[in-house]
Amino acid sequence: MEKTLKKEKLNSLITGLKDKGYKTIAPKKDNNLITLCEIQEADEIHFDHVQTNNSIKEYFLPKTEKILSYTIEKTKVSIEEPEGFAVKSVVFGSRPCDAASLPIMDKVFNWDCTDKFWIERREAITIVTIACDKCDSYCFCTSVCLAPDAKQGSDVLLTKISDDEYLVETETEKGEGLIKELETVFSEPPSGTPDRQVATVEKKFEIDKVKPWLDENFVHKIWAEFSTKCIGCGACTFVCPTCHCFDIVDECTMSKGDRVKNWDGCQFKMFTLHTSGHNPRSTQDQRWRQRIMHKFKYYVEKFDNILCVGCGRCSRVCPADMNISEMLEIISTDEGQPEPVSKE
Amino acid sequence: MDNIYTPYLMNISDVTDEAPGVRTFRLNFQNEDEGKNFKFQAGQFALYSAFGYGESTFCIASSPTRKDYVECTFRQAGRVTNALSELNAGDTIGFRGPYGNVFPIEEWEGKNLVFVAGGIALPPLRSVIWNCLDLRDKYKNITIVYGAKTVADLVYKNELKEWTARDDVNLVTTVDPGGETPDWTGKVGFVPTVVEETAPDSKDTIAIVCGPPIMIKFTLPVLEKLGFKQDKVYTTLENRMKCGLGKCGRCNIGCTYICKEGPVFTAEEISKMPDEF
Ligand SMILES: Cc1cc2nc3c(=O)[nH]c(=O)nc-3n(C[C@H](O)[C@H](O)[C@H](O)COP(=O)(O)OP(=O)(O)OC[C@H]3O[C@@H](n4cnc5c(N)ncnc54)[C@H](O)[C@@H]3O)c2cc1C
Ligand code: SF4
Ligand code: SF4
Ligand code: FES
Repeated sequence: MEKTLKKEKLNSLITGLKDKGYKTIAPKKDNNLITLCEIQEADEIHFDHVQTNNSIKEYFLPKTEKILSYTIEKTKVSIEEPEGFAVKSVVFGSRPCDAASLPIMDKVFNWDCTDKFWIERREAITIVTIACDKCDSYCFCTSVCLAPDAKQGSDVLLTKISDDEYLVETETEKGEGLIKELETVFSEPPSGTPDRQVATVEKKFEIDKVKPWLDENFVHKIWAEFSTKCIGCGACTFVCPTCHCFDIVDECTMSKGDRVKNWDGCQFKMFTLHTSGHNPRSTQDQRWRQRIMHKFKYYVEKFDNILCVGCGRCSRVCPADMNISEMLEIISTDEGQPEPVSKE
Repeated sequence: MDNIYTPYLMNISDVTDEAPGVRTFRLNFQNEDEGKNFKFQAGQFALYSAFGYGESTFCIASSPTRKDYVECTFRQAGRVTNALSELNAGDTIGFRGPYGNVFPIEEWEGKNLVFVAGGIALPPLRSVIWNCLDLRDKYKNITIVYGAKTVADLVYKNELKEWTARDDVNLVTTVDPGGETPDWTGKVGFVPTVVEETAPDSKDTIAIVCGPPIMIKFTLPVLEKLGFKQDKVYTTLENRMKCGLGKCGRCNIGCTYICKEGPVFTAEEISKMPDEF
């Protein structure tokens, strides 16, 4: 289905969503950060930015969430299942790269058994994406088989066609349902070919060259070179829409407790530390290799998807100026013979 | 939709002190129907929880042929295992599992078996040992080589006696030099050396090795020297795990998720993994 949305109708859209019982999550300016967060009014929505600082991930895999609660009474324990975590919502104005991360992540959360916390939120949340009309030097969606107007993962895709108008395209039944629910807000599609204002994102590397290189070079001096600057802060994993690793811990008083899933990351030393003190990834170069390998080799072999959408957040946020697309560029153009370094 | 992170509630029905800091729990399902529907195979593991403290990964140490309970043996090593060892018979613990792959014991039928275990690594082997002993006619000679630092550190002391008494099992126990007591009748020496002296002919024989990395590292070459092909040698890997379900992303070695595709591997499979153990 195709429609248009005039900017002047945004107010009716956001009020309409509220009336229909949706919570709305949208980019909002908060001090100097543009953050995807819950909004109440259309005025709060920020449009003129490249990318939000946080990714869409936290609305499906929260930073911290209860996966069960229990009460301990002497020798007996009773368990209560968390409820109400999947709230009917619309994410409005996230980017195509963020939306594209969702079907990729579905694969791991559905691998043989289903993580209901992820999947029930996926069902409850509708994604209305705005195609990018600008980008920065960190963006590299076009290098990972996506585009600034990619449709993957979006239920509705909005594309700017003039200063005050968006083309509205529905990509799923869920998206179509949403547009129908709020029919009066949208106008008929323009006659003729609309002038889609979409950014041009430069292609930085040939993705086809990356995995073959990784297949051969688990041992390579590049890993140490890449990681020398990294301080292991893990910020890159937290802002990443496709980093799904988590920890499970108990939080408890004497008689009541919650079992909680928290974001975790492969860049932390503790992540793989055995209780014996042995650590299979004890150095930062091993941990950086894991990050690249997981995203561009392991996930591809397991689930036939690259675990990266080229949003550039990891590189924007890194305090040590590590840049993943520069690394992938080096990897994809490395013609030389592998130069193995000695194993530790 | 079911919550894959919800554990079964189990009663601790029996507690056995095996060695200093090592304890076995026998567990029964609080919900009988869950117990009836529960199935596992030797080699699998589970996440055991001390409510209020968290979950820990242990193998299932009892045999699938003994259906009315599950046992685990654990060493007190940190937060959760310390909390577990505070629990007594009658207390409740959480159990999530069974997870992971299994020892292919049907493929081993008609062959000799040699089990090699070091230290606290007898529990993962105990499940498969009892499984094979309970199906004794399906296998030829069964040899068990088990070593610990000291006599006190040997676990399952009663079962060791039982195995010694059986004439269809050849049990060789050993302790590290200095770990023996005056009345010790077993061997004195490190597991790899004892394996070299006592292992049966590699022809038609499957070797199953579990132990600390250092023991495995020195035992595998010994087995190779004795003529064991890499695909006839099995072991288990124990990476740090949280979910046990392939979601939390921490247990992989290269492309292999130990929690889903392991913990049981042949030496051949391990030799193909990247060097990140
Ligand atoms: C497949 C498999 C089978 C196993 N089978 C057995 C078995 O049969 N028997 C057995 O005894 N063991 C077994 N183990 C090992 C066992 O899982 C560990 O010894 C056990 O989990 C230790 O748990 P803990 O909580 O007591 O240890 P801890 O080390 O206290 O805690 C575990 C986790 O908490 C983290 N942690 C510890 N302290 C802190 C801190 N201060 N701040 C933040 N994080 C912290 C650690 O990094 C670790 O990730 C097995 C392991 C695997 C993977
Ligand atoms: S954000 Fe930068 S410094 Fe921090 S862990 Fe990631 S790469 Fe390393
Ligand atoms: S790895 Fe970096 S560029 Fe790729 S999806 Fe994650 S944050 Fe975005
Ligand atoms: S333990 Fe979580 S992925 Fe293996």
